[in-house]
Amino acid sequence: MTESKQKDHGVLYIGMDLGTSRTSISASNGVRETIFSVVGYPKDVVSQKLLKKDVLYGKEAIDKRLSLKVYKPLEKGVLKYTGDAAMDGEAKANLKAAQDLIGEAIRHARPRKDELVYCVIGAPAEASVKNRAAIVEAARAHVDSVMLCSEPFSVAYGLDWLEDVLVIDIGAGTTDLCRMHGTMPEETDQVMYDVAGDAVDAELARLVAESCPGAQFTVQMIKEIKERYGFVGDSAERAVVELPVAGKPTTFDLTQQIGKACSILIDPILKGITKLVATFDPEFQQKLKNRVLLAGGGSMVKGLDSAVEKAMRERLGGGKVVRIEEPIYGGANGALKIAHDMPADYWEQLK
Amino acid sequence: MGGFKESLAAAVRQMAFRTSLDSLKKKGVQQVSVLGIDRIVALVEAAVHRSLRSHLVGIEREAVADATKEEFLRLLRSNEDLQRQKSEIERLKERAEEEIDGLRRELATRHQELQLRLEQGAQAVADRYEGENAAIAQRVGEVLRSLAGAGAPTVADAEARVVELVLDVVSGERRSAEEARAALRDREVENLQRRIRKLNDALGQTEQRLQEVAAMKSVDDGISSIYREVQGLRPGEVQAQKKKELMAEIFKANLELQRKLEG
Ligand SMILES: Nc1ncnc2c1ncn2[C@@H]1O[C@H](COP(=O)(O)OP(=O)(O)OP(=O)(O)O)[C@@H](O)[C@H]1O
Repeated sequence: MTESKQKDHGVLYIGMDLGTSRTSISASNGVRETIFSVVGYPKDVVSQKLLKKDVLYGKEAIDKRLSLKVYKPLEKGVLKYTGDAAMDGEAKANLKAAQDLIGEAIRHARPRKDELVYCVIGAPAEASVKNRAAIVEAARAHVDSVMLCSEPFSVAYGLDWLEDVLVIDIGAGTTDLCRMHGTMPEETDQVMYDVAGDAVDAELARLVAESCPGAQFTVQMIKEIKERYGFVGDSAERAVVELPVAGKPTTFDLTQQIGKACSILIDPILKGITKLVATFDPEFQQKLKNRVLLAGGGSMVKGLDSAVEKAMRERLGGGKVVRIEEPIYGGANGALKIAHDMPADYWEQLK
Repeated sequence: MGGFKESLAAAVRQMAFRTSLDSLKKKGVQQVSVLGIDRIVALVEAAVHRSLRSHLVGIEREAVADATKEEFLRLLRSNEDLQRQKSEIERLKERAEEEIDGLRRELATRHQELQLRLEQGAQAVADRYEGENAAIAQRVGEVLRSLAGAGAPTVADAEARVVELVLDVVSGERRSAEEARAALRDREVENLQRRIRKLNDALGQTEQRLQEVAAMKSVDDGISSIYREVQGLRPGEVQAQKKKELMAEIFKANLELQRKLEG
């Protein structure tokens, strides 16, 4: 093996899930962290003096956004910078924000200075080659060696599901379905719908407004109610919540509305599954149907796995759905496992 | 692994405390047993080996012992690094504190100076007026006396006229002299006040810096990985062959990506 083996420093592996709204890391020193994918820079000298910082990240950047120029460098799942020669100022600023964000995520892993840092980043499957190159460029400034893989692949690898897997990632803005039969899915292996967490929130808000006259609420309150009680199918518990009516806390039973709002997720998922199965090699279609993986924050809606299974029985004659145990860290954990399994010479060659 | 023994010896020395024979006597100690550092080091080594021997055999034992020593050396080194970084922060803090102290002292001196100057100014004006008043009275007296000697119309008339005349002249003089003096004094006072303002600003800034230094968390040393060396797939791993292929595939894609980045 290579010389690095003889050195007395350790090796820190970092798995990173670079998401539109959240970036999570999971590392071989036991650290797991997640931050909102938001970067802010003070608008002017006065703000800078006040904030006493040159860059703010995540929640802090969101809280202080009024005195900041705020970037969400991964919006729509794709690093905005494309590496074109004629890059405008805004694109440059986004690349800088992405670099800073990746650096911050790595700092969160708390690497020791004397350890080698090897990082695998799960990037959105739809990221173009140029975007992937930009992500690697951003990461290289902070680690000894870095590799990129597609996010759905890392999710599946984390569960030892190595081939013929259908990964469904239910995020805030989008539900992404991806058929894995190798490491890098192609365009035809993916479908995306904009019915996801945010759409459920909007639908629930509409239903509450309609059925609870006078009830006052914000989108944030609705989202919290959904995250607490969200379910489809038969409800396990009644969702009894308090909402103010003309300033007075009033009790409402929202069980039925929540079930209805969450169920809007099922139809697009079924449409996507049908499409990806139907266009797959007929010999492996059955296998694919039996290896459907639910991931992302939205997969925490209770009963969603059985509901999708039930719908698959009705429309596709059967299927098996598994929900990953840790939706928030699924991608990062898988990336960490890939980093661990990667042979030393591969890392060396990419230094 | 010679370095190990030295480091262990140094560590023992560091952990030991010094005391004098007198102070031991005071505590009623008559005799002491002396244990050399070399002996202690040897004992620790022996202990490590013995406890390892009971669990492991041969090469494995050597390997574990070596790894333990390495780990020990690594810990010592990183501890030293940390100490260095800590003392750097402490130095910064001390410097800022000294600076603040100096600034405070200078500020106090300036304040005193200003006070003194303002008091002196008031006293000088009072003294001057007194002197001037006496001189004027004297001159008026002289004029009156000469007038009386010459047998002029009425003393009262003459007195009134002379006083009027003299006061008119004097007050004009006095006003212009006073203005000149006031202008001079104001400049000095203003300068002093400006310097005090500046010192105050500097003090504020230094204090803020001190706060920032104090807020710097003691430098994060990081958390060690559970791995000492690059891992790779374990031979007995489930689906090892398939995983090997996938790793190669990911590597190839990344190599290509890197070529594009460089080319
Ligand atoms: N317990 C829960 N039950 C239901 N939904 C939840 C729960 N927890 C989080 N969510 C929802 O999951 C969504 C966020 O998921 P995730 O963190 O995977 O987003 P993301 O992948 O960054 O978003 P996107 O894929 O759109 O870029 C939000 O809509 C959130 O409300």
